[in-house]
Amino acid sequence: MGHFIIVGILVVVMAILTYVGLDAAGVATQMHPIEASLQSVSIDWLWNWEIMAISFLFALIVVPMAYSMIVFRRKKGDPSEGEHFEGNTTLEIVWTVIPLFAVLALAYMGSYSLGETRRVDPNAIVIKVKAQQFAWTFEYPEYGIVSNELHLPVDQQVVLKMESADVIHSFWVPEFRVKQDIVPGPLTDYRITPILVGDYKVRCAELCGASHAYMENNVIVDTKADYDAWIAEQRAIALANQTPEGQGKLLTVKNGCIGCHSVDGAKMTGPTWLGLFGSNAELADGTTVVSDEAYITESILDPKAKEVAGFSPTTMPPYTLSEVEIANIIAYLKTLK
Amino acid sequence: MKKFFSTALARGLVWQLIGTLVGAGLVTGIRAMMGLSITDTFFFTEPAWVLGAFFGVLFFLAGNGSVSDWFKWSRGIDTPEHHEDHYTGWEKYLNVSLDHKVIGIQYTVTALLLISIGGLFALIFRTELAQSQLQFLTVDMKLFGQNGPQLYNTLMSLHGMIMIVSILLGIAGIINYVVPLLLGAQDMAFPRLNAFSFWIAVPAAVLLLMSLVLGGFDTGWTGYPPLSVRAPVGVQMFFLGVAAAGWSSILGALNVIATIIRMRSKGMTAMRMPIFVWAAVATSIIALTATQLIGLSFQLVMFQRLFGMGFFDPAKGGNPVLFQHLFWFYSHPAVYVFVLPGLGVISELLPVFARKPLFGYRWIAMSSMGIALVGFLVWAHHMFTSGMNEYLRVPFMYSTLLVAIPTGVKFFSWVATIWKGKLTYPTPMLFVLGAIVVFLLGGLTGPPNATVSVDLHLHDTYFIVGHFHDTIFGGFVFPFFAALYYWFPKATGRRMNETLGKIHFWLMTPSFFVLTFGMMQIGLLGMRRRIVDYDPALGFDSTHLVLTIAGYLIGLSVLIFIYNFFNSIKNGEKAEGNVWNSRSPEWQVPSPMPVHNYDQPFEVVGEPYDYGLPGSKYVEFSSPAKSKHK
Amino acid sequence: MSHTQDKSAALRQGVLIFIYLAALTALEYFIAITFKAVSILVIVAMIKAALVMYYYMHIYKLNAESEDDEHSYEYKTGTNRLGLWLFLLSDSFVFAGLMTTRINLLGLTRPHLDQLLGLVVTAILLLSSFFMNRGETAMSHGDKKSFMNNTLVTFVLGLGFLLGVVLVEWRLAAEGGLVASFGNPAAGPMGAVFYIMTGMHAFHVLTGLIFLGVVWNNARKNLYSARQHWGVEAAAVYWHFVDLVWIFYYPALYLIGRVV
Ligand code: HEA
Ligand code: HEA
Ligand code: HEC
Ligand code: CUA
Ligand SMILES: [Cu+2]
Repeated sequence: MGHFIIVGILVVVMAILTYVGLDAAGVATQMHPIEASLQSVSIDWLWNWEIMAISFLFALIVVPMAYSMIVFRRKKGDPSEGEHFEGNTTLEIVWTVIPLFAVLALAYMGSYSLGETRRVDPNAIVIKVKAQQFAWTFEYPEYGIVSNELHLPVDQQVVLKMESADVIHSFWVPEFRVKQDIVPGPLTDYRITPILVGDYKVRCAELCGASHAYMENNVIVDTKADYDAWIAEQRAIALANQTPEGQGKLLTVKNGCIGCHSVDGAKMTGPTWLGLFGSNAELADGTTVVSDEAYITESILDPKAKEVAGFSPTTMPPYTLSEVEIANIIAYLKTLK
Repeated sequence: MKKFFSTALARGLVWQLIGTLVGAGLVTGIRAMMGLSITDTFFFTEPAWVLGAFFGVLFFLAGNGSVSDWFKWSRGIDTPEHHEDHYTGWEKYLNVSLDHKVIGIQYTVTALLLISIGGLFALIFRTELAQSQLQFLTVDMKLFGQNGPQLYNTLMSLHGMIMIVSILLGIAGIINYVVPLLLGAQDMAFPRLNAFSFWIAVPAAVLLLMSLVLGGFDTGWTGYPPLSVRAPVGVQMFFLGVAAAGWSSILGALNVIATIIRMRSKGMTAMRMPIFVWAAVATSIIALTATQLIGLSFQLVMFQRLFGMGFFDPAKGGNPVLFQHLFWFYSHPAVYVFVLPGLGVISELLPVFARKPLFGYRWIAMSSMGIALVGFLVWAHHMFTSGMNEYLRVPFMYSTLLVAIPTGVKFFSWVATIWKGKLTYPTPMLFVLGAIVVFLLGGLTGPPNATVSVDLHLHDTYFIVGHFHDTIFGGFVFPFFAALYYWFPKATGRRMNETLGKIHFWLMTPSFFVLTFGMMQIGLLGMRRRIVDYDPALGFDSTHLVLTIAGYLIGLSVLIFIYNFFNSIKNGEKAEGNVWNSRSPEWQVPSPMPVHNYDQPFEVVGEPYDYGLPGSKYVEFSSPAKSKHK
Repeated sequence: MSHTQDKSAALRQGVLIFIYLAALTALEYFIAITFKAVSILVIVAMIKAALVMYYYMHIYKLNAESEDDEHSYEYKTGTNRLGLWLFLLSDSFVFAGLMTTRINLLGLTRPHLDQLLGLVVTAILLLSSFFMNRGETAMSHGDKKSFMNNTLVTFVLGLGFLLGVVLVEWRLAAEGGLVASFGNPAAGPMGAVFYIMTGMHAFHVLTGLIFLGVVWNNARKNLYSARQHWGVEAAAVYWHFVDLVWIFYYPALYLIGRVV
């Protein structure tokens, strides 16, 4: 009996220590990073229970194991065998049934928590999201705004209608917890209610190719006032952008070009556009061509046709854009001097 | 060297090369006849590579002689029932042998080789991860037609798949060596099929490695379309390699089941089989059936690439999520293929070193079957975020959680087994105990993944990476090492060095805890899987550095093991008797095991694990005259 | 071994089962062109499958206890039989996977195919199974000549099925719009599913034909006897398995759902 009492106490102590230790490591009571959405609250709630259960179960197994290892080790020169008992059906049933209840509890809590994360607000704002290798585009259909930053008003449910242009991506803002794949074909929905003003990042969570790691865009949760101001500003920009250059710029955002091409000279997956128009492009085969209208058109429609030195021609997907659209893009490129 | 080139292995490889050229040439020739360009990309076109690789495998098998008996049979020529090996020493292992012990060792050594290669890949990409930003896998570097990030993806994917194949071979090795001995059989039920199952894994490994140089692929081991449809030719080699390795696994499993059903020695009823045999049955049931689905899912992608059949292409009415269902229908049960034999090793060895009966034999046996069967019903827990039908997530959450129950039975029974034993701690026992703790950690991090809402956060993060390294190490790597240390004397008549063994253990275990705990921690904080670079703003640099160092230490410990392994074959301390004082039949005869296993058949007369019961016996050897079975 | 059974009784049983199967096939066809009840089609297919598995493939033999020692031919045949069935079990997962693909992608629609041709090839395959059964029964009674003749008929019918599917049906389907161009079943999921399902099945028919050829040739060399003819049994069981698959694939491709 003595053994059992000691082990029992040790299990409790160890369970508490494990839990406290995990909490100190920042992974228990509240999952980090900070909770920034309503959905994360019920997720973290469940997680906390799970960590408690894990701490306890871990102690429940490891403590008697360690205890046996120390107390029941063979002393030097002791030739005897262990105690002979083959099993105990009652015990077996106990440790089948108790975990069964634990599992049932977990299943219940899991369903509850899932229900909470999926609660629908009929007044949710709809925002369209387009994901492609390797860029995010956000469209606010009500206002005719296209942006590569996602702005959200705080305390207001939004539903993202997400589509993919190529492969599977996944929308994940760690602070929001919830994540949702974006599969080519049908639209997928993502519902979230931000509750904490701040700057976050959406990080593509499904391997989607060479630059998957960099498929990150800003997500900004604004106060209602800031959000309205941002919308107004963007609308103004959109109105001012009725020129070909303006339209071109919009197109490069919308099509995700700027996921790979910088406009400030920085080197990204693709060559920078700064000063591109009219310059001499060095090709992989050593020749150079002048970046004129024809060359750029070809580069967009059929990127593989001419390979720019130092870049892989297979990374850029071929685009099917209309003549007008391409002309607009070129008009925009011309402004990047 | 000359000897090497006359081995079946070398012959097979040469034939594989020839086969590849023939296959590729055939397609190229046909294309030329159709007036198509033969110098598109890569000189060969994709169909040429695919047919080439396929022919390569066939030629390998035809060329190295592992199918020649079947060809003879089909022409009505009988072959002797049991070949004696013509070769001795290392040559025996590089040639086709029908002896299950030789095949077991062939499997095991191949598995070790693949673990080293896969581990080396891990160390390479871990080095890149040690700091944020790109250090050497930069956009500007180029190797095998891939730039740095692409190469990262290839290495990462290959790490995953090569490791998985190495597990399949590793368990096949242990099962092959041990199961017939435990049953008292002379060999497996189908010795030729056994040899075939091993040899087909060799060209499979070659194909997997070929994918690295053929432009690689950036899909992860899961190969989800549409990404895998767009990946370079390398992905086709990956698909074919997996298909070949899959056949190895399927046919191996078939053999194991038939052996266990038909070849048990007299008196060995189901409930008197050594517990490892139960694990082998459970594993084999999964491997036999589910494995077809990974082959099929990859085959469909392959056909989509080759013939434009739009199974998974939404533009053609296909469904990308369907692939994930087919894929995980295998790949989830597969994880139980990885662990069940390992858990069997734990159950098999614990009583020996605790000097006590296995607690709740029946329950442990049935829990293996339970895990295997429930394991078939949980696959979609990998797809909670995939956009499959929403309502499906709930039943899959429940079924997944259920697996905790039979697994728990095992844990509690293990604890009860060592309770009040007389424990000793030679190296195999250390690895067994390490396995229990590590697997516990891995197992306990399973249910959080299974609860859908929490998984929405955890999915595709390093938390998952931590989860499965824990389960795989606890369920396979640790028990695998335990099994090697334990049965090494049986195979060689010598022991492995204890000191090196202990260094191996005490280096690997703490490093491993650091590695996976660190993985889980940063995973929770927002570290995604499968990224070559991470945002420095996340502040993960120092943790990643520690993880990399831990990875290197694990690698070092494995190197020590490999040295110990090969060195002890020649120089180990002699151990021809019952080293561990075990009751198991194979230890009742001198080591190394004779060619035809038991000279005298044995009869089972008692329970397998009655340690501490005076006068009890498990097996009794009879005279050869009464060799009637069942 | 069934040579305890009287030979003519065994042959009569084969005929009877064949008649059942033929009647059920006709019933399927009738259902498909009239009231289109998928559930009944599934049930009929299951009944057919059960008949084939029991009477043609002798699944019960798996249970046969053999008292012989483990080096005897009988004991080894028992082991081989188990191995073969395990293989078929494994293989059926491939076919089930393709069936899942079909259900997922096509649902209650099906490709536009030539109904008559479908019925004809199905009948041919069924007939071949019948002859296979006769051949095997003959062999198990030591009647080599009858075995060879029946197997030859089976072979020819099997070849007819294969050519019917691959040469005629594939071409007709292509003309019916299932492919975009030669060798390119790209026109939607219909083509993809149709070609992969029939293709995988045809591949098995092909291997079955090779197998038949091998045992026929070995029988010619007098390698089988009434007591020892595992090769024959294996070829027969495999052949019936290929038929079994078609029992499900035929309604799945030709009968269920509405044509698109
Ligand atoms: C050896 C392999 C192995 C094993 C044994 C397991 C075991 C389990 N795994 Fe794991 N898993 C993997 C290998 C493995 N897994 C791999 C490789 C992946 C990633 C694949 C990829 O995407 O690349 C993965 C991913 C994975 C996911 C998907 C995560 C995601 O991508 O979002 C999930 C989700 O449910 C999951 C759950 C589980 C569960 C519930 C178990 C259970 O079987 C665990 C059961 C054990 C215990 C629970 C502990 C002991 C029990 C007790 C002490 C009793 C009491 C316990 C309770 C009442 C809870 N695993
Ligand atoms: C058996 C299974 C197994 C094993 C043993 C390991 C072992 C290791 N894994 Fe494993 N890992 C997987 C299976 C495994 N892994 C899987 C399935 C994935 C998922 C892939 C995917 O997402 O698609 C993965 C992914 C994965 C990732 C995530 C990558 C990403 O998402 O970007 C990481 C990151 O740290 C990692 C690290 C490691 C490390 C450091 C080890 C270390 O333990 C390795 C230790 C080193 C060795 C064992 C080698 C020692 C030997 C030598 C150095 C000698 C070399 C000599 C010769 C070649 C002759 N692995
Ligand atoms: C996935 C990354 C990616 C995306 C998205 C992308 N590009 Fe590119 N782009 C590249 C790469 C890599 C190259 C250089 C290799 C080549 O020539 O194809 C390139 C080259 C070009 C060039 C030639 C540049 C030169 O220096 O000669 C132009 C023009 C161009 N892209 C325009 C666009 C436009 C317009 C879009 C959006 C509609 C776009 N790109 C989207 C990766 C991308
Ligand atoms: Cu998009 Cu990863
Ligand atoms: Cu799983």
